[in-house]
Amino acid sequence: MQFFQFTEEQEMLRKAVREFVDAEVAPKAKEWDENDVCPVELWPLMGELGLCGVFVPEEYGGAGLGHTERAIVLEEISRHSAGLGIALMTHHLGTAAILYYGNEEQKKKYLPDLCSGKKVGGLSVTEPGGGSDFMGQKSTGELKDAKWVLNGRKCFITNSHIADVDVWTVITGQDEKGRPVMTAFIIDGDAEGHTPGRKEHKLGLRGSVTGDVICNNVVVGPEQMLQKLGAGAKIAMTTIQEVGRAGMSAICVGILRGCIEEAVKFSNERILYGKPLNKLQAIQFMIAENRVEYEAAKLLTYRATGMKDAGLPCATEFAIAKYYSTEASVRCAKRTMDSMGGYGIVNEYPVGRFLRDGLASIPSGGTSQVQLLITAGATIAGK
Amino acid sequence: MGLSIAVCIKPVPDPKHYDKIKIDPVKKTVVREGISTILNPCDKHALEAALQLRGSDGAVTVITMAPPNAEETLREALAMGADAAILLTDRAFAGADTWATSYTLASGLKKAGPFDIIFTGTESADGATTQVPAQLAEWMDWPHLWNAVTVEQTGEQTLKVRTKAENEWSDYQVTLPCLLAMSRESNKPRLTSLMGVMKAKKKPLTVWCRPDLDVDDAALGMKGSPTQPGAIFEPEMGRKGILISGDVDEIAAQLVEKLRTAGLAIETGDVCAPGGGNV
Amino acid sequence: MKMTNPADWKGILIIGEINNCRVQPVSLELIGKARELKAGCPAVGEVAAVLIGSGLSGSLAEIEVTGVDEVILVDHADCALFHNDLYAAILKQIIDTRKPSVVLFPATARYQDLASILGIRADTGVAAHCVDIRINEQAEILAVVPAFGGKVLGDILCPAHRPQMATAKPGIFRQGEPVPGHKPKRSLFDASTIIADTMKKTRLLALESSVCAVPEGIPLEKATVVVCGGWGMGSKENWALLGDLANLLGGAVGCTRPPIDEGWMPDESYMIGTSGKVIRPKVYIGVAVSGSSHHVCGMKDSDLIISINNDPKAPIFEVSDIRIVGDAKQTLKGLSDKIREIRSAK
Repeated sequence: MQFFQFTEEQEMLRKAVREFVDAEVAPKAKEWDENDVCPVELWPLMGELGLCGVFVPEEYGGAGLGHTERAIVLEEISRHSAGLGIALMTHHLGTAAILYYGNEEQKKKYLPDLCSGKKVGGLSVTEPGGGSDFMGQKSTGELKDAKWVLNGRKCFITNSHIADVDVWTVITGQDEKGRPVMTAFIIDGDAEGHTPGRKEHKLGLRGSVTGDVICNNVVVGPEQMLQKLGAGAKIAMTTIQEVGRAGMSAICVGILRGCIEEAVKFSNERILYGKPLNKLQAIQFMIAENRVEYEAAKLLTYRATGMKDAGLPCATEFAIAKYYSTEASVRCAKRTMDSMGGYGIVNEYPVGRFLRDGLASIPSGGTSQVQLLITAGATIAGK
Repeated sequence: MGLSIAVCIKPVPDPKHYDKIKIDPVKKTVVREGISTILNPCDKHALEAALQLRGSDGAVTVITMAPPNAEETLREALAMGADAAILLTDRAFAGADTWATSYTLASGLKKAGPFDIIFTGTESADGATTQVPAQLAEWMDWPHLWNAVTVEQTGEQTLKVRTKAENEWSDYQVTLPCLLAMSRESNKPRLTSLMGVMKAKKKPLTVWCRPDLDVDDAALGMKGSPTQPGAIFEPEMGRKGILISGDVDEIAAQLVEKLRTAGLAIETGDVCAPGGGNV
Repeated sequence: MKMTNPADWKGILIIGEINNCRVQPVSLELIGKARELKAGCPAVGEVAAVLIGSGLSGSLAEIEVTGVDEVILVDHADCALFHNDLYAAILKQIIDTRKPSVVLFPATARYQDLASILGIRADTGVAAHCVDIRINEQAEILAVVPAFGGKVLGDILCPAHRPQMATAKPGIFRQGEPVPGHKPKRSLFDASTIIADTMKKTRLLALESSVCAVPEGIPLEKATVVVCGGWGMGSKENWALLGDLANLLGGAVGCTRPPIDEGWMPDESYMIGTSGKVIRPKVYIGVAVSGSSHHVCGMKDSDLIISINNDPKAPIFEVSDIRIVGDAKQTLKGLSDKIREIRSAK
């Protein structure tokens, strides 16, 4: 087993993304959070820089890199705006579903625009009737005159109001045992009957827009079906497990790093009893505990992305990483706030936003309890 | 045939951290530990100008005279979009002032050329002498302009360039080959894409040392520099300050008193002799 | 590179800057410094100033009362527009003829360019934007130059080459006491041959020149009171408070670099620091300015320095006479309101 280290290229990539973040994200993160807006206008620039299609092969307009590089991108962005982080990571979900499960025509039709940032991607799976209870969803797809008519309402969907390419799961029938058959379709955002619904006012991840997406007799041709009838559950599950949870994990690694940097900065500048705050052991322990959690989250996340890039099964590793990173980001944000005393609750500082973004990250991509169920199942089965 | 363009760059300690720089009291040298090295910010404007002028059939070569670890900075310039890089590095070049530096750079450029244009930044963040662009042009025997804000190709061999002085702009027509030192106001340097980073490692990076260049040893490094450095020290700037505190109103009242003592007539907004009273 | 015999070189030559037929104050400051050096070491020789331009006769009064020993005029219609190659060729010939020991240039955009060119053409060293110059008994100068944004100062010597050249920014040196009635020697330098030769080379042609929009209000370097804002002001709305106070005190508003990047100030002509302007007002009020070295170098010689910052560790407090740890917006408003209150009570 080799010890963990990024390659020279990955360090250069990180530096390039950080330059973009310092110029375009850091100065505006607070404003996006306060006004609850998603900076859709950044998509073309992010496309140009390769951030929209990090793991898409160059032949389709992507940067031709892997999921480790994608995690680096999300981490760097989320150090300042986890809201933009989840918006971009959701874009990646729609992109990944088409890349890994689409046929050549579908890939050629959608991937170039998703990679260039001309179009925003989305993945609509969760419903009032089925979130954790994944198969409990009720949206339907009916074959009529050789076309599919889709109906339903999705909720808690990130990019609900901005997605131009929306991958939906619907129940298209039942199998011989009476179990629901789920199929995935690519919907063009401006298709008739496909509209966003209510917008949620979230307490965190506010640089992204989350809400309902409705299909009211949306008609799509059979060429919009992803892979084949009944593949929807596998497509959705794998994408959420290996691209969604990976994304949330990396986003929270970014938040964790933000917590440490802000804590160190503040404790250097603030003078108490005639000395910088971090001369006090109580503060030192807070910073150290944050550091330990950050290192653990980072290692778990990049270990899992490394496995995915190597083509190894990694659903459990992502469940572990996502569970740990998201929960740790909340603990560390609170710890950082504690170390700042009264200043911790003042909105001049980003730490309150870090806490809220961490809290909102926990139920994104499956609750912590779902991650624990997955981990338990694998562990008990000896895997 | 497109334009063959060269850009001179310099790796410098990150200016954001200059306040951390100290002087070693024993060795009497500058201590810049913990401060990372970056591509000189002004040089990015030069590289951006070069990339914009290159078009579809030109080529941009970046060159620097620096220690061996400058390879990293050259790769950054390649990642930004330059096509090739040259590193001039040798102990013999060390300690050079602008005279010897521009002499050495010119030798490297003549060997790598011929170029149609050389772009530079206006000054480096660390030394900030502003002298290398003009001096390099002199060694090349080319015309040059310092602090160019716009560059327009008006003919196959001519450019129209606007430069800015403190409060005046001036337009010139300059014939190729020429050297232009690009102003901070001239453009917004592009960000580096992930694709650019991956392409950078495959682009050619050539390293030349003393034996590779046609130069006179007496003109290199510290030996070849007409200016010689003496002592270095930190500037004395301290003042014994007094703290004014209180609520907003109390502070304002105390400030008004201090301004009066300094010679401002608060009632009228005029300036008079210290201590009050009009002169 | 040839070495020179310092003994053959005598005198201090000031390259004066003319703009729109007006001698720039920096030229008078350099003359002031040169006369100081001469007083310290009379052996260095006479102080002469050269002016290049067109229609110069009206500009001489100001320069003559500086007490300079000689004024050399290069007055020619073809010198009306600044042309680096032409001016440098003219200066090279003057230097070759007169062999000054020291040559001082303004560190302005145009004239530091000339200094750089002449460093190569005259085969000598140039100490760039120095903040001090000293001279010893052997008429050798030592120039003090800043590096790393002014955090470090270094001595520069030019032991084996002549002339010893240096550039200095406006505001670094002070003009000397005027010498009323002083009549320096006047020389006319005939540049017609050099002009003809240079014009034959068509590599660089000066087309036209124009003054940029003149900034409103009192120029920073002339204001008695400067209110300077930094990045901590936070927004354009807050920024307006600075102008409010400056107007009440009859002063000007300056800034550090971040407000220009944010668009709260139009351009670098309002910037105070090593890359901007060096000012010496009666009163400097820094508001939400952290006080990094490169800014402080631009205002450290102000008579009274007042700083307002909500960070008690801000470096600017170390160079301030009066420190206020508090909110910039509130303190500014409080002071402006107090002044208005006093005025309305009259």
